Amino acid sequence: MKTRIKELRARYDLTQEDLAKKIGVRRETILFIEKGNYNPSLKLAHDIAKALQTTIDELFIFEDE
Amino acid sequence: MKGKKEIIVATVVVAMVLFTLFFYLTGTSEINFDQILLVSIVLVLVGLAMYVIWDKIRNVQKGLPGKDERTISISNKAGYYAFIAAIWSAVFAPLFFDVSSGYELKGGDVTAIVVLVSGFVFVVSYLYFYWKGK
Repeated sequence: MKTRIKELRARYDLTQEDLAKKIGVRRETILFIEKGNYNPSLKLAHDIAKALQTTIDELFIFEDE
Repeated sequence: MKGKKEIIVATVVVAMVLFTLFFYLTGTSEINFDQILLVSIVLVLVGLAMYVIWDKIRNVQKGLPGKDERTISISNKAGYYAFIAAIWSAVFAPLFFDVSSGYELKGGDVTAIVVLVSGFVFVVSYLYFYWKGK
């Protein structure tokens, strides 16, 4: 799974820490989601999408394995 | 606030373990290899616990939560592995000592082994998942 979190963070000039504070998670969680090392829950995915003013579909790119 | 309470409780527990170790070592006239090994394992566990506490404090000071869904998830996974390790060590520790040295472990020895092994497995697997990300 790939994400566009980094790209959208840059668009809104947000650091990982800023985004983490906005949605109430630790900075490392954002880092691992960006790197594709952690699959967030649906609620967290929704919160991130909301914070970045986008949708889950736009934010996460699923690839067939 | 909840995170801060957990940090205070964890810090008190670590301090109590260190005090217990200190009194144990000062009250022992002769220290043999087994005791050094036991104390070393406890010190490693305490050191790693202190790292986790320090990491939580760092996050809370920055205004971030001490724990979130990822840390809860890795705690659950590490707990699962520690539970499995506890069961296996309870079964195989007496068997291992009996076969290898003919020494029959007492109930207290088995309890100590189970606590140390499961604690060690918990901390190692927690840190592994923590650094790996999942």
